[in-house]
Amino acid sequence: MSPFILSILLLGLGLGTTITFASSHWLLAWMGLENNTLAIIPLMAQHHHPRAAEATTKYFLTQATAAAMLLFATTSNAWLSGQWHILQMNHPLPTTLITLALALKIGLAPMHAWLPEVLQGLNLTTGLILSTWQKLAPFALLLQVQQTNPALTIMLGITSMLIGGWAGLNQTQLRKILAYSSIAHLGWMLIVIQFSPSLALLTLLLYFIMTSSAFLSFKLNNTTNINSLATSWAKMPTLTSLAPLILLSLAGLPPLTGFMPKWLIIQELTKQGLAPTATLAALSALLSLYFYLRLAYAMTLTISPNNLTGTTPWRLPSNQLTLPLAASVTATNFLLPLSPPILSLLTP
Amino acid sequence: MSCICFYLVLVVGLAAVASNPSPYYAALGLVMVAGVGCGVLVNYGGSFLSLVLFLIYLGGMLVVFAYSAALAAEPYPESWGSGPVMMYMVFYVLGVVMVSGMFWGEWYMVFWVPADEMGEFSMARGDVEGVALMYSFGGGMLLVGGWVLLLTLFVVLELVRGLGRGALRAV
Amino acid sequence: MLMILIPTLMLIPTAWASPLKWLWPTTLTHSLIIALASFTWFKAPSETGWHSINAYMALDPLSTPLLILTCWLTPLTILASQNHMSTEPAPRQRTYITLLISLQFFLILAFSATEIIMFYIMFEATLIPTLIIITRWGNQTERLNAGTYFLFYTLAGSLPLLVALLILQNNTGSLSLLILQYSDPLNLAPFTSKLWWAGCLMAFLVKMPLYGIHLWLPKAHVEAPIAGSMILAAVLLKLGGYGMMRITTMLDPLTKELSYPFIILALWGVIMTASICLRQTDLKSLIAYSSVSHMGLVIAAILTQTPWGFTGALILMIAHGLTSSALFCLANTNYERTHSRTMILTRGLQIALPLMTTWWFTASLANLALPPLPNLMGELTIITSLFGWSWWTLLLTGAGTLITANYSLHMFLMTQRGPLPHHITNLDPTHSREHLLMALHLLPLILLMLKPSLIWGWTA
Repeated sequence: MSPFILSILLLGLGLGTTITFASSHWLLAWMGLENNTLAIIPLMAQHHHPRAAEATTKYFLTQATAAAMLLFATTSNAWLSGQWHILQMNHPLPTTLITLALALKIGLAPMHAWLPEVLQGLNLTTGLILSTWQKLAPFALLLQVQQTNPALTIMLGITSMLIGGWAGLNQTQLRKILAYSSIAHLGWMLIVIQFSPSLALLTLLLYFIMTSSAFLSFKLNNTTNINSLATSWAKMPTLTSLAPLILLSLAGLPPLTGFMPKWLIIQELTKQGLAPTATLAALSALLSLYFYLRLAYAMTLTISPNNLTGTTPWRLPSNQLTLPLAASVTATNFLLPLSPPILSLLTP
Repeated sequence: MSCICFYLVLVVGLAAVASNPSPYYAALGLVMVAGVGCGVLVNYGGSFLSLVLFLIYLGGMLVVFAYSAALAAEPYPESWGSGPVMMYMVFYVLGVVMVSGMFWGEWYMVFWVPADEMGEFSMARGDVEGVALMYSFGGGMLLVGGWVLLLTLFVVLELVRGLGRGALRAV
Repeated sequence: MLMILIPTLMLIPTAWASPLKWLWPTTLTHSLIIALASFTWFKAPSETGWHSINAYMALDPLSTPLLILTCWLTPLTILASQNHMSTEPAPRQRTYITLLISLQFFLILAFSATEIIMFYIMFEATLIPTLIIITRWGNQTERLNAGTYFLFYTLAGSLPLLVALLILQNNTGSLSLLILQYSDPLNLAPFTSKLWWAGCLMAFLVKMPLYGIHLWLPKAHVEAPIAGSMILAAVLLKLGGYGMMRITTMLDPLTKELSYPFIILALWGVIMTASICLRQTDLKSLIAYSSVSHMGLVIAAILTQTPWGFTGALILMIAHGLTSSALFCLANTNYERTHSRTMILTRGLQIALPLMTTWWFTASLANLALPPLPNLMGELTIITSLFGWSWWTLLLTGAGTLITANYSLHMFLMTQRGPLPHHITNLDPTHSREHLLMALHLLPLILLMLKPSLIWGWTA
């Protein structure tokens, strides 16, 4: 891809999200979302592989559906209440529709089915963009919409957590596993979004850090399934020994960073008198833990036999950029002691 | 009465597209839906809008129809008579009937009041701010719209570029 | 506190900076110095029971013996692992030592935390190093299964604990151990409060483990390398007992009725697991089931909530920590020579390794609670407190003691006495490293006979 076109597309990605961030008007927010969707499509299809084309088509169709639903809901909101402000939604019907449309956009269960399929067709860099940057704009809208039906987001959250854990169990493809992990994490955010939006935002940001570590380390290893993960000890010994910590941080085990959002969310839920929901949420994390643990087993905790020439790729210098990975791995593993300052940074 | 007829055709036409027949027939259903949709709009008094929409649809549909007839011509097309398509069709129509049965009656009157009908109670009128955005922020919207068009152009060019074969599937 | 904590952290640079030749001696010396320094905690000048207080940590007579046990065990694990790690590449040896050190670090923080949430986090934090030790350095492929069992049993128990603790915090506003026992009891609906009670205890009952939810433990013990088995039996199980003792002070009016089924199950478990030991062929599995059996007594004692019960539980935990760790070390010395855990294949070792038999004898006697040893003090106190709770428990505890004596002797006779089979006639002689290891296990046990008040806990 020509660098000029790439820069235009990246500008489009950035601008779309920024427009959505900056807008208080539904029409503008919708334009930002569409801008975002359009800009990533050539990036997704850049390899012209049949799977990539398929993934692109699926992505385009779902995003277009979600955007059309959003537009429909906002117009009927304007029709019913006479205004377009994002922060002043009070009619239940458009609010529900908008929430569902945004849930489809970020891939929350039960509107999640496109995400694993799409992610499986992309390379890891585009997949990283898809599972981090592309979630920002819809999530920002979701944060601003005043929910009228408290059961809706909780149901979306619980369903996403359970399905994200459950469906990830029998996957062998890393990108699909990461997709289900994304679904489960978004479930954690949705469950708390109406009680404490800043906490949901914190969870999103920490999820970005953790999933970046996972994507980047898989990219550095050049692996896309569990089998090829088994030889990573010969490629990147240090990274391989850190990988279980990254994965267990995604699973939310203390004392790693991933425990912080889970802890705070469970605290918020018990404060709201939703202790059974909190328990269900906490136990659903075990489902996800199982497949993270299996990745850790395959990658680090067992050593696959290899022939002599196969054991020395670590001697070859890699020309990939590793500084972002180093930074994100550090943040993935060691941020828990810093939770009070991080929390006070995000809480208004 | 004509309104109900239009709605009926609209629903059946949507089901006809969604029931996954051959593209040839699906395009037919699409044309039907587009035309009837404009009819519904006329019923609500939007005559100019529906005329414009109908012209645009006509152009678009013609292209779609021509393409699907030419590119996806199958020797044995599946119309709504064939098994699976018929099954979908029945399923969808039944679904619509069941849902409308569920909501039959005056369910929406409780809270389904358009802002325009409360003119004497409130300052807000339907779509006031939507249009106002276009006027007050017109230059900015023009810029953003122009940018999106440019981006779309790039996207389309980038997608169909491929070793002279000019298609998505060209590797 | 920092006097121990900072040197513990500095063990990591020691492990990575010292040359490979001196890696094991330096880390051993360093950690042994830490262990010796930790003895100063026995001198508790305060009248309230709490001493060495800082912002997050404090010590009281309950946590002090467990903390010192933790510090004492780390040099022993290093000593025990030296032989089987010596064939590995240097970075892996250093990583292994680092894992042991991090385990000590987390355990110190867990035992000395004054905030229950801090205790909870450190309780969970010990999972990761243990998991890595088991699944990375275990011997068979079943170790992955064992690791999964270990992690999932513990987490399934302890995630409800987190919710229960946060409910408590929302109601009382604080989770500080220093003041929590003075707070008002929780106001919950009857059914909810029962669930809350179970949520608070279940994590620790799984960790102990209670009979019925103990299946992770024999697997983890059998598959873990020696250091993993030692630290698991000696300290990690005691996290459960410690947590139970801390949390039952807050569960006060509920425990009186709700503990019935758990006490009975624990005592039933003593008999069942002891009987399982009788027909065990796998040496490490036998020792693991013997741990479950002893911990059943501890659970029952803690749930009676009497001072005698708590004292007995603490004494038995410390004594069992040293004894079972010693037994695992002995099993490992056999394993390193014969590469088999099967008892039928490693018989008659008295002829081959006579001095080792002395250690086997002492450790077996300790395991069956011979009179002057602290093991007996613990068991007697526990049996007395249970007898006070209900006379009928004497049937269960008495039978349990009897079977314990049986399987301990069975283990000793099976491995040491009788003719030496021909396939193991040319064994390595015992190393002085191994004798040192056993002496460091059993000497504290014997010395504790002289001043058991050190490990009496709150009643001291």
